[in-house]
Amino acid sequence: MTTEATRHATTIAAAIVVVALVALPAYVGQYTLTTFIRTIYFGFLALSVGLLLGQGGMISLTQTAFFGLSGYVIGLLGTERGFPSPIPELAGLAAVLLLAFVFGLVVMRTYGTVFLMLTLALGQICWSFVRQNTSLLHGWAGIRGIQPPSPFGLDLTQHAIFYWISLAAFGFGLLVLWRLAESPFGLALNGIRESPRRMSALGYPVFWLRVTAFVIAALYAGIGGILAAWSSGIVTPTAMQLSRTIWILLVVILGGAAHFWGPVLGTVIAVWLDVLISQLTPRYNTVIGIVFVAVILVAPNGILGVLEKIGAAGTGPGRWRRNLFVPRAAEAAPPTHGRGGHT
Amino acid sequence: MRLMILILNGLTQGALFFVLGSGLTLAFGLMRVVNMSHGAFYLLGGYLGIAALKLSGSWTVALAAGGLSIALLGLVVERGMLARVREGADLSQTLLTIALSMIIADVALAIWGGHPLSIRSPAAITRPVTLFGLTYPGFRYVLMAIAVLIALLLWLILYRTRFGIAVRASVDDRETVSALGVRIDTIYSLMFMLSALLGGIAGVLGGTYLQLSPGEDTTILTYSLVVIIVGGLGSLLGTLVSALLLGQILSFGLAYAPEMSMFLVFVPMAIVLAIRPEGLFGRRT
Amino acid sequence: MSKKVFAALVAAGLMAMPATGFAAGDSITIGLLSAFTGPFASFGQLQKEGAVLALEQAGYKVAGKTIKVIYADDQLDNEQAVTKAKQLVEQDKVDVLTGLVSGDEGLSVGSYMKGKNIPVVPMYSASEDMTMREWYPFIVRPTWTGAQPMDVFGYWLARTKGFKKIYMIGEDYSYPYNQGGGFKRGFLRGGGMEVKTIWHAVPTSDYSSLIGSIPLDQGYDAVLYNGAGSDAVAFVKQYVEFGMQNKIPLIGQSNTFEKPDLDSMPQEIVSAYSAHLTADDLDTPNWNKFRDAFKTRWDHSPSAASEFAYGCMNLILRGIEAQKGDVTDKAALVKAMRAVDMSDEPRGPVKLDEFNAAVENVYIRQVTLGKDGAMFNKGLVTAHDVSQFGPYDRAVYMKQPADGRTSPPELRSAMPAEMLQVAKDYEFVPFGK
Repeated sequence: MTTEATRHATTIAAAIVVVALVALPAYVGQYTLTTFIRTIYFGFLALSVGLLLGQGGMISLTQTAFFGLSGYVIGLLGTERGFPSPIPELAGLAAVLLLAFVFGLVVMRTYGTVFLMLTLALGQICWSFVRQNTSLLHGWAGIRGIQPPSPFGLDLTQHAIFYWISLAAFGFGLLVLWRLAESPFGLALNGIRESPRRMSALGYPVFWLRVTAFVIAALYAGIGGILAAWSSGIVTPTAMQLSRTIWILLVVILGGAAHFWGPVLGTVIAVWLDVLISQLTPRYNTVIGIVFVAVILVAPNGILGVLEKIGAAGTGPGRWRRNLFVPRAAEAAPPTHGRGGHT
Repeated sequence: MRLMILILNGLTQGALFFVLGSGLTLAFGLMRVVNMSHGAFYLLGGYLGIAALKLSGSWTVALAAGGLSIALLGLVVERGMLARVREGADLSQTLLTIALSMIIADVALAIWGGHPLSIRSPAAITRPVTLFGLTYPGFRYVLMAIAVLIALLLWLILYRTRFGIAVRASVDDRETVSALGVRIDTIYSLMFMLSALLGGIAGVLGGTYLQLSPGEDTTILTYSLVVIIVGGLGSLLGTLVSALLLGQILSFGLAYAPEMSMFLVFVPMAIVLAIRPEGLFGRRT
Repeated sequence: MSKKVFAALVAAGLMAMPATGFAAGDSITIGLLSAFTGPFASFGQLQKEGAVLALEQAGYKVAGKTIKVIYADDQLDNEQAVTKAKQLVEQDKVDVLTGLVSGDEGLSVGSYMKGKNIPVVPMYSASEDMTMREWYPFIVRPTWTGAQPMDVFGYWLARTKGFKKIYMIGEDYSYPYNQGGGFKRGFLRGGGMEVKTIWHAVPTSDYSSLIGSIPLDQGYDAVLYNGAGSDAVAFVKQYVEFGMQNKIPLIGQSNTFEKPDLDSMPQEIVSAYSAHLTADDLDTPNWNKFRDAFKTRWDHSPSAASEFAYGCMNLILRGIEAQKGDVTDKAALVKAMRAVDMSDEPRGPVKLDEFNAAVENVYIRQVTLGKDGAMFNKGLVTAHDVSQFGPYDRAVYMKQPADGRTSPPELRSAMPAEMLQVAKDYEFVPFGK
């Protein structure tokens, strides 16, 4: 197929999907709409993880902490202390950016498994703090009664309107991420993923580029957290707990961490799987776990990876240029093979 | 008097941390894999211990059953899954253990239900023991003794057996050891089994003096990771020191600042990582 | 080509999304949202048993309509509770929402359900604000509030037993705040001097530090453990393991010694007091009928959680019956429920006040060793017609700040005067009268 025809087909396909999505409230029930909204705010979280994993080559387990943080700030400032919108929302995002910057400074010196464990630990610090603090954050009960604001007179308690706003935000977020991927920053990130040493030798500020990526990713998680808090009206430590963190990681890998659209696809599948499976069995976690094992053993590049192999998806834009789980000659960081602590 | 009780509490907690962390850190040192199902191994080991106690009526049997069954599970996991992705990036193995932890935790929930359970230890060792004017639950002394025993056994294994020599050598230089004719695969399997065994045993111990419930697996995993990160990945001595330290922090934290008790356990980790990322006794990689 | 096909499939999939939820038709749907996982999972299970008994006795049919029940597990997580509530309301289109175990589940779901115009009948959730400061007319709670039995308990301990100082260790969330608040009011009003208050996170497995910090030389008459479920079992076990039972007697909140958790506790705690709306050795015709039916069905005796669920489900069914099976007007359904006669309630006669909250008997019980070797809660005294406001005037009561971590105060000297005096306080009659 010629490039011209491919691009033509892609545009038509995209147009169909967009129309279907925008017109959604007209032909689906309220609960389906709620589920789509859920898909969107978890989608933001997935994009957050996916940016770091796909482009940056780093598995970060801190993203849910940012997701929860923005929700808590909104709850504390908006619901409990009555600050008018958009102050709580802006404060939430500012808090996320600040925390991500601080965390970034700490973690971005490490790579690979150590990076994973560090981000896990930092995420758990946030979780444990929120979980045990009752005087301010009400511990396990969380903050309830969160109401979405009414920007420009729009009533966000209406499902359809909330959906359109979320969809618009998501679309915008995807656009920004796409541009970022193709920008010099994005390309530098790709290079760092492949070989930080080489990039450093070429004069790139590897550390600062990684910190920036971390902050941007956190922003996406924070936005998702705001939408989630508005949608469910409540924020609890569950938003940050380890099982949620693991779930979103699986979601991204399921969709295909090596692709731009992987996180989105993974979220759609995982959320709908939840709805379907929970009507048949409460064993959602087992099913997802098994799916994940299968993916890692058989199709480490996720569903999009499989589609790519059978030719249904292209290797064009949106496809990061490496297979995530295939060995490389040169390791990513200062060599970690064959060395360990003394016993 | 109150101070002594808090210190003893810290030692009890530290004992459990040590049993948990020792296997995990050794497995990492050798295989460069962090077993993220370690918490799930703990939980499952404890639950299987409960089942064994019901069948046999003996706590010792429960302890053995909890440990050995998980060791067996470890073997299956290592051979069946980890070995397959071994040639890939290390992250594949870690991710597999993450997925596994979800499955194990959910299956455990399905079988044993949502209500927290605990293991009844023989009344003889559970009753309060009065030593030097201090009344303290007897089982906790037993737990400390078991941890000391395990520490000694591990030291013996590492420094006085051929397996131990092979492990320590492989940690330093995998290829050469393999070239010398030692079956690396067997070493890996045995080490993973040992790590799993310790996890299962920890589950029975924890399930006896505390409780087992859904969600406990992630808490335990997090604590285990903190212990080995602070101690130094791959270092047994490091795990011992950090387990003792963190146990005291947790104990005093629960008494004086209960709202921050978990958080306080994480602070040393943050400090260590900021100043000396390889941990107290880890070797800089 | 394949790209187009792929996208077309996606679009088609979106178009084909079924508008979920089925038409009501000849059935009425009741949603039972509870915690079947977590530290209070035993209460969720007991709740289900009580509800099922009531449904089975009615044959799952009322006024010719079939009753459909949908069970949802929120795993004692408030976010999950709201998510499941959404599912029940938006997808399953329930006509009544019931269940709810913990105080915070109730408050969270209650907050979400405001404006949805569907009756909410909490079966065990006891945070008083659901029928006080955060009440709306669709909430019907014929069960209890946290403070209700504890005010009686505190008053009785101070007045009858002469206790002066209590050391209270409690779970750090709304329901124990409410139980502790009621206790403080009753205790300090009855002549007590201090209720020292310590809170711990939920759940906690290791109480050694907390227990080790209990002062033995400051004249505390009892240690009150203000918690339930697995936390209570762990605390009590460790309390005995440390040999504390011989030094300071243990007393509990309403749920601390509830069966079946009581069966997991060491027998050294025999003689511990608590207060609730039931007692394990109630002996009235209504209770015996219920107890026998329950035992036949579930092989064990019912405790409060089951009786409450049974009573609530019956209230719902009778309300539907009064409406001849027509539940389209939910406000009318609530009115019908309010008018139901609950004088035959197994645990004792129940009336509703203007907040749809229960006015009923409170029993003070003591853990006793039964002839079968198992412990049970033996009734000692009864207080009749106890309201959620206790003996206080409701305006005075609601003017006080809501029960929280630091309110009411710990010391009698810091209590406001209007909370220490009432026109008419409780009168206790021997159990069984």
